[in-house]
Amino acid sequence: MKTRIKELRARHDLTQEDLAIKVGVRRETILFIEKGKYNPSLKLAHDIAKVLQTTIDELFIFE
Amino acid sequence: MKDKLEILVGIGIAVAVIVTLYFFLINAGNIDSSEIISSGVVIILVASALYILWDRIKNVKRGLPAQDERLKITNYKACYYGFIASIWSAVGAPLISGIIFDYELPGHYVTAVVVLCGGLAFMLSYFLLAWKGN
Repeated sequence: MKTRIKELRARHDLTQEDLAIKVGVRRETILFIEKGKYNPSLKLAHDIAKVLQTTIDELFIFE
Repeated sequence: MKDKLEILVGIGIAVAVIVTLYFFLINAGNIDSSEIISSGVVIILVASALYILWDRIKNVKRGLPAQDERLKITNYKACYYGFIASIWSAVGAPLISGIIFDYELPGHYVTAVVVLCGGLAFMLSYFLLAWKGN
């Protein structure tokens, strides 16, 4: 699974740590999600999408 | 609050283990090789636990959670591997000791092997899973 988190994070001028604080997870979790090494829960995916002002569909690219 | 309490309890347990090991070593007299190995494993386990606690303290200080959903899953998986290792070591240690060394392992040695194998498997799988990202 690929994600557009890095791209959208840069657009909102957020660091991994900023996003981690906003959604209440550790920075490494954001890093692993961006790399596609960890599949987040639906709640976390929803929270990230909300912070980045997008939808889960646009955030994650299912292959 | 819960995070801080968990960290404090963790530090308390680590200190208690170190103090116990210290008193054991200074009062043990002649220490054989099995005791040196088991003490070494205990030191590795305590050092690993202290590293995990330090990592949590670092995150709490930065306003991040000590544990999140990914680390909870990592913990569950590591616990599972530790449990499996404990069961197999409980079965395997007396068997290997009997077959290879022709020596019947006393009960307290088996208990020590089970605890140390379980702990070591937990720590190894925890660090591996945390590094891999699950």
